[in-house]
Amino acid sequence: MNTRDAKQILLLYRGTIDDLDPQFHAALAYAKSDPGLAEWLRAQTKCYDTIQATLREIEPPLGLSEKIVRRRPIPFHCDWSRILQLAAVILISATVTALLMKWSERRHVSGAGPQEILVTGEVLDMTCYIASNLSGPDHAKCARDCIRSGLPAGIKAQDGKVYLLTGGPGHSINAEVADYAAKTVTIKGKQTVRDGFAQLQVEEIRKL
Amino acid sequence: MPADLEFENLVNVYYRDLYRFGLSLTGSEADAADLTQQTFYIWANKGNQLQKPASVKTWLFTTLHREFLKTCRRQNRFSHESIDERTEDLPTVPANCADRADSQTLLRILGEMAEDFRAPLVLYYMEDLSYKEIADVLALPLGTVQSRIARAKIQLLRRLSETNLPVEQAK
Repeated sequence: MNTRDAKQILLLYRGTIDDLDPQFHAALAYAKSDPGLAEWLRAQTKCYDTIQATLREIEPPLGLSEKIVRRRPIPFHCDWSRILQLAAVILISATVTALLMKWSERRHVSGAGPQEILVTGEVLDMTCYIASNLSGPDHAKCARDCIRSGLPAGIKAQDGKVYLLTGGPGHSINAEVADYAAKTVTIKGKQTVRDGFAQLQVEEIRKL
Repeated sequence: MPADLEFENLVNVYYRDLYRFGLSLTGSEADAADLTQQTFYIWANKGNQLQKPASVKTWLFTTLHREFLKTCRRQNRFSHESIDERTEDLPTVPANCADRADSQTLLRILGEMAEDFRAPLVLYYMEDLSYKEIADVLALPLGTVQSRIARAKIQLLRRLSETNLPVEQAK
């Protein structure tokens, strides 16, 4: 190695930070034996330090760090275990909700099943009542004829609720209730609801 | 440590260095601030992918440099002085050669260099990065980085000497 070679190598030498870098070891050792090179090296490392210090005097604009922190984006890390956990929770929630809905539906249906009640009110000819709002003593004859002829019969309870009167399976109730048309009676029977329409399957009729 | 606090600490440790690097590359305070912000935002989204926590600094500088190169490709607005290929004539460096150069002068001289030379030289001066780390940041072979630093350094010293002191050429 000569002075020129050593200088070429030591041009990149920055001081302490490069002391462990083996590419400088031989050139640094050579500089110890060459006073001129050692002086050149001191000057260039001092110059390096000065330039570094000058560049490090540059300060960022005020508030830059706060701005960066404040505007930090919310990261979405694609963590598959978390995604699967979330999917499982959604699936379980959906299943529980579906089961609850089904249970609630069944409960509602079972609540609408046959229930024995007593209803007191006027026997109606449903055709005239629904079509023309006809009821009461003035319409008694028509009602009796209509019911007897097989048109649907009903009873309007004292609370205003109207039930369609039915017999047992395959049995018409018309003949039994026709004589009570437009009269107030108490009927014992089983209440059912179909599509929101109240029915009363007659078991016993008591005239008041 | 909570993620927010970790991010804030990271910003506080590195934002100055990144800003200076950005300013040396762009010559514009606004662009340097944008690059610094962008670098940390990329970190916020992708930093968790970093395998070695010890290389955070290198990762940040690499990211800023990449973002800068993207900007250069978009804008292509820089005109630079190419570096003289001759490395044989090493200038004699007076110890006080940079004493009278303020940061603005240094930035101006750096800004006149081609980006290929400016980035390694800035990392060489500003950051306590090893040559291997500088090569990693710039995605260049180690030999290329050292060669560019040497040539750019000679150019810088020449320009500084022209500004401040007469230069003696080494024999």
